[in-house]
Amino acid sequence: MLSQQIISGLATGSLYALTAIAVVVVFRNTRTINVAQGDFSMLAAFFAVLFLKSGMNYYATIAMTVAATMLLGIVVERLVMRPIADSDWLTLFTATLGVYYIMHGVAGWIWGRDTKAFPVTFDPTPIKLFGTIVSEGHLINMAWAAAIGVVLFVFFKFTKQGIAMRAVTDDPETAKLMGIPVRFIVMLTWGMAGFLGAFAGILIAPILYVSPQMMDEVLIKGYVAAVFGGLYSIPGAIVGALMIGVAENLAGGYLGSHYKTATAFVMIVALLALRPQGLFGIQKRREI
Amino acid sequence: MVNKNPAGSLSAPVRDRAAVATLKAKFQVQNVALVVAFFVALLLVPLIPGFKGWMASQAALVVVYILAAQGLSILTGYTGLVSVGHGGFLAIGAYTAALLVKHANADIVLSLIAGAAMAGVIGMLMALVFLRLAGPFLAIGTLGFAFFVGTVVNNVKFFEGREGISVPANHALGLPVGDIGFYYISIILLALVTLFIYSLVRSSVGRALKGLRDAEKAAQSCGVNRLLYRTLAFTISAAITGLAGALSALTTRYVSAEVFGDIWYSVDFLVAAVVGGSAMLMGPIVGGIFVAMLPFFLEKLADFAFILKGVALIAVLMFAPAGVCDVIARPFRAWRRRRLERAAAGEEPVRREPPVVALEGKS
Repeated sequence: MLSQQIISGLATGSLYALTAIAVVVVFRNTRTINVAQGDFSMLAAFFAVLFLKSGMNYYATIAMTVAATMLLGIVVERLVMRPIADSDWLTLFTATLGVYYIMHGVAGWIWGRDTKAFPVTFDPTPIKLFGTIVSEGHLINMAWAAAIGVVLFVFFKFTKQGIAMRAVTDDPETAKLMGIPVRFIVMLTWGMAGFLGAFAGILIAPILYVSPQMMDEVLIKGYVAAVFGGLYSIPGAIVGALMIGVAENLAGGYLGSHYKTATAFVMIVALLALRPQGLFGIQKRREI
Repeated sequence: MVNKNPAGSLSAPVRDRAAVATLKAKFQVQNVALVVAFFVALLLVPLIPGFKGWMASQAALVVVYILAAQGLSILTGYTGLVSVGHGGFLAIGAYTAALLVKHANADIVLSLIAGAAMAGVIGMLMALVFLRLAGPFLAIGTLGFAFFVGTVVNNVKFFEGREGISVPANHALGLPVGDIGFYYISIILLALVTLFIYSLVRSSVGRALKGLRDAEKAAQSCGVNRLLYRTLAFTISAAITGLAGALSALTTRYVSAEVFGDIWYSVDFLVAAVVGGSAMLMGPIVGGIFVAMLPFFLEKLADFAFILKGVALIAVLMFAPAGVCDVIARPFRAWRRRRLERAAAGEEPVRREPPVVALEGKS
C-alpha cells in the first residue's frame, strides 16, 4: 500500500516537475513568473485532441503538438514579452497574467468550458513490478518525464545553445559581450517553456481530462516545486516536484483526498520559513 | 510601474516661494474638492428616479472590488510588495461577518469591523512568514495562502463548503437595512477607506513605506524599521480587503466556497490595482470598476470578457505602465506644472494670502 502510494506520487510528481522546470527556466532567464505556463499545457492538450481526432497516431500527435506549442511560446515572447522585457518583475508577471486570460478565453470560446475526455487512455489493468502494483499510465508518464530529463541534461551540458542559455542565466550582460545572441536565447527559453508545457499537457490530459481550467492547480504546484529549487535550480525543482507528488498522495491516502491541495501550501510555508533560499540554495544571490 | 515622482520638483530656480506655496495649496484644495464632489455625487445617485434596488446591490459589489483593490494597492503601490493572495483575506472577512450574523445575530457595523479585524490579525501572522521573502517568492507564497484558504472553506464542515451559509436579515445600529441601505453603507466605507489611505500615504508611516519601496537600504540606514513597517502595511492591507469581504457577505447575504474558494479573485484584485494605477488614490477605484463591471456587461460572453481583460491588461502594461489614471492625470499634471513654473518665476498672478497650511516640501 505504502510503496504503491509512493510510486503513484512519483508519477504525478514527475508531471509537476515538467511544469516546475519550465517555470524555473523562464524565471532565471527573463525574471518572469510565467502564469501562462499552465495554459501552454492546456492548449497543447486541446491541440492533441484535435490532431488525434483528425486521425493521426499518438506519436505524430505528440510531435505536432510539441511543435505547435513551442511556436506558441515563441509568439508570446515576440508579441508580448519582448516589448516590455526591461520592466520590473511585477510588470512581466502581470503581462503573463494577461496572456493567461487571453488563452483561457480563447480556449473557452472555441472548445467550451466543459471537461472533455482525452481520446488516448492507458490500460487500467495493474502490473506487478518488484512486488508493487503499478499502473501502466504511471510507468509511461515516469518514462516520458525521465526521457525529457535526459534530453534537457544533454541540451544544457553539451549543446552550444544549452551552454549559451546557462551563460545568459548567470550573467546576461557578460553573455551579450561574449557574443551570445541574448534575444535569441530568450526566445529559445520561451520555446522550451512551450516544449515542456506540451509534454505536461499531453501526459496529464488522460488523468485530469481536458478543459480550460485543467492546469490551474498543477501550475500552483509547479510554482511551489520551483520555489523548492529557489526558482533557480532545475534539480531542486525536480526534487521539490517529486516530494510534493509523494506528500500529497500520502496525505490524500491517509488523511482524505480533500487535503491534497493544502499539502503543497503547508510544504511551501514550512520551506519558506526554514529555508527561504530554496532547498539547495541559490548559487548567486540576485537583487530582484 | 510605480509612479515615483507625482508632484515633481521644479527645474528652474524658485524666485517667488510664497506664490508657489499658495498655488500648491490651491491645487491641494482642488484635489480634495474633486474627491469630495465625487463622493457626494455617489451619495446622491439613489435619488435619481429609476434607480432600482438591484442596481444598488450591484454597485455595492463593485465597491467590494474597489475596496479590495485599495487594500492591495497599499502593498503594491506604496510598499512595493506584491500579494497574489488577497482573495484569502476577502474570504476570511466574508466568513467572519457571515458567521457572526448567523450565530450571534450581530449588528452590521460590528460584523464589518470584526471581518476587517480578523483579516488583519491573520494578515499580521502571515506577514511574519511572508515578509522574509522578496518579490516573486512573496507572490508565490501568498498565492499558496489563497489556495489554502480556498481548501479550508471547501472542506472544513463548519464553513459548509459549496452549500454555503445564508446570512439572516441585517440591521445596522438597530435599523433594518435593505439594498439602498447597503449602497449607502458601501459608499461611506469607500469614502472612509479612501480618506484613510490618503492620510496614511501622507503620514510618517506612508513616507517610511515609500522610502523602503524606493531605496530600502537608504531608508533602513535612516532608522526605518523594515519589518515593523512592512508588517504594518500587510496588516492594514489585509484588514481593508477583509472589510471588503465582510461587505460582500452582508450585501449578498450568502457566502459559499463556490465564490470564496476561487483563488482567481486574488488575481482580479491585482489586475484592478495594476490597470488603474496602484500608486494613485483614484487608481484602484477606476481599476476596481473595470474588473467588476466587465463580467457584468459581458455576462453571456464570459470567454470574451476573459480575452478583453487580457488584452486590456497587456495594453496597459505596454502603454501606461503606471496605470490608466496616470495617463488621464498626465495632461492636468503638466498644466499644473507649467503654472507652478510660471509662479516660481514670478509671472503667475496669484492672490496673496498667507497659506493656511505650509505644504512646502510635501509631495
